[in-house]
Parts: sequence; C-alpha cells; structure tokens
Amino acid sequence: MNGRSVKSCAEKPLMSATRIVGLVVVLLTAGCAGLEHAAPGSERTQTGAAAGAVAAIEPVVPPAASTHAPPQTDASESGADVVKPMVAPVPPSVTPSAAHLAAKADSPAAKTRAKVVAPPESTGQVAKKPGAAPALVKQATSPPLDLKSLEMRLKETKAIGVFTKLALKNQVDDLLNRFRAFYQGRLKTSLAELRQPYDLLLLKVLALLQDTDPPLAGAIAASREAIWGILADPAKFATL
Amino acid sequence: MSKRMNAWTMIIVMSMSFTSPSLAADDVSLLKDLTAVIALLGMPCGEVVSATRLKDNDHVATCRNGNRYRVFVNAEGRVVAQKQ
Repeated sequence: MNGRSVKSCAEKPLMSATRIVGLVVVLLTAGCAGLEHAAPGSERTQTGAAAGAVAAIEPVVPPAASTHAPPQTDASESGADVVKPMVAPVPPSVTPSAAHLAAKADSPAAKTRAKVVAPPESTGQVAKKPGAAPALVKQATSPPLDLKSLEMRLKETKAIGVFTKLALKNQVDDLLNRFRAFYQGRLKTSLAELRQPYDLLLLKVLALLQDTDPPLAGAIAASREAIWGILADPAKFATL
Repeated sequence: MSKRMNAWTMIIVMSMSFTSPSLAADDVSLLKDLTAVIALLGMPCGEVVSATRLKDNDHVATCRNGNRYRVFVNAEGRVVAQKQ
C-alpha cells in the first residue's frame, strides 16, 4: 500500500512535467512555422545569387516604336550594355540574361495598342497612310524591352530553382555560341535553322514559368520577336 | 516506468510531427528543381521522388521510373546529369 502510494505520488509530478514539456515543444514548433514565412526572403537571396540561367538580350527597340514609347529609346541606347550580360560567363550567382521584358512595357504597350486600334477603324486614315498602319500594328505587337527589369525578375523568380537556372544559362550560352559561329562562318547553317533552337529554348523557359510566374512568362513571350530581331542582326548581335 | 516511456514517446512524436512539415517543404522544392533540370537536359525521368545530397550542388536523384541520376555542377559551371 505504501509502495503504491509512493509510486502514485511520484507519477503525478512526472505527468505534469510531461505536459509542460509537451506544451513547450508545441510552442517552439509553432514559432518555427512562423519562421517559414520569413524563409522566402532567404530564398530570394539564394535565387538572386544563383540567377544566371537565361541570357539577357538587350531590348533594341525598333525606331518606329520610339515615337510612341520614349522609354524604349533609352533601352535601345543601353542595348550594348544589356547585351553584354548574355555573353559574359556569368557564375551561377550572377545575372541571368534572358529576354528582358519591362513591366513598364505593359502600360506603354497598352497605350500603343489603343493608338493602333484607332487607325484601322478610320478608313480614310488607312487609305492615306497604308504603310503607317502596319508599322503601328507591329509596334503594338512588339512591346518595348526592358532587359534590366526582366533580368531582375528572372533573378528573383521563385518559379525555377538554382539548378534549373544554371541549366538554362548553359543552354542560352550554347545558343549564343552557335550564332557566333554562324556569323563567323564556322557554322554552315541558316538563320531559319537557328530559329528552331531559339524557339525551343524560349518554350522551355515559358514552360517553367507559366504556372508559377505567369506575368514573367507573358513578358518573355511578348519579347520573343524583339529578341530574335537582335540575334538575327549581325550588327546588333556583335554588340552582345 | 512504462508511463515514463509513454510520456517521452509522446513528446518525441509530437516534436517530430510539427517539425517534419518545414523540412518537407525544402525537399519538395529540391525535388521539383531536379525534376525540371533532368527534363531540361532531355533525360527520361518523369518525376524525381527522392534525392540524396552528396555535397553542395551535387545530388543523386531517384526518378519515379526507376532511373537514378547524379545531378551536379561541373568545373566549367555546367549542370550535368549522369545516369547512375
């Protein structure tokens, strides 16, 4: 009897201690869960450090577009600088290059699209300036590029991981080397044949971004032709 | 004694149940990254179901179809996937 009472007396504090410890554990883990929300900040730094997946192509804006979107001229002026990051061997922690599409481009693009809509509706204007309408339409379809903005967005995107960014960077560098060899006469092919790997690479990038970062994917998709315009022009490509 | 053991077991189980989700989140992102990389490199995999870290930027990924790849960054800075 005394033994049993002793045991019961010893067990009561043990159970209470157990409950206290368990409560402490619960509180600690809840605190850890709260820290997870701060993790994206660290992930951003990691992705920023690892960014370098896609070659940046300078946003060379067509001259016609500059009249409608002044920021584009700035981009074109800095085209040489923008192109360079594509070619430079960037370590995983630095500079992805891929097509820059400006977030700014969205608003000027909307304005240009609005302007473009007007001319076709007025047949008189169309009859007077038939050449201007197609040019305006082209401008509307090819929004101005802001490679720096797009580069930042690619660096910070959480849609793709470090390895994927590195692999994309490798493939972009390979594509640029093919273009370089083509322009140097070392590669017996045509621009049309180079278009296919270019489109394929863009598709890969879009496939990786479309679900988790749709705005960035849309920006890249919109810059497809503008980027090709840079790659297909020997003078512009030489500035890369 | 048995009650003590039960109490400690309960504590350990509770702590593990709350800590495991945070670890799983990082693992999931790594698995997705490896899945994307292997697909990007044109290797047959489907989905990476588990990964073993050998060292920094060096993992062995096990795919759902049974293939195993070592995914790492070589000295030239290229991502390589070697079938194991």
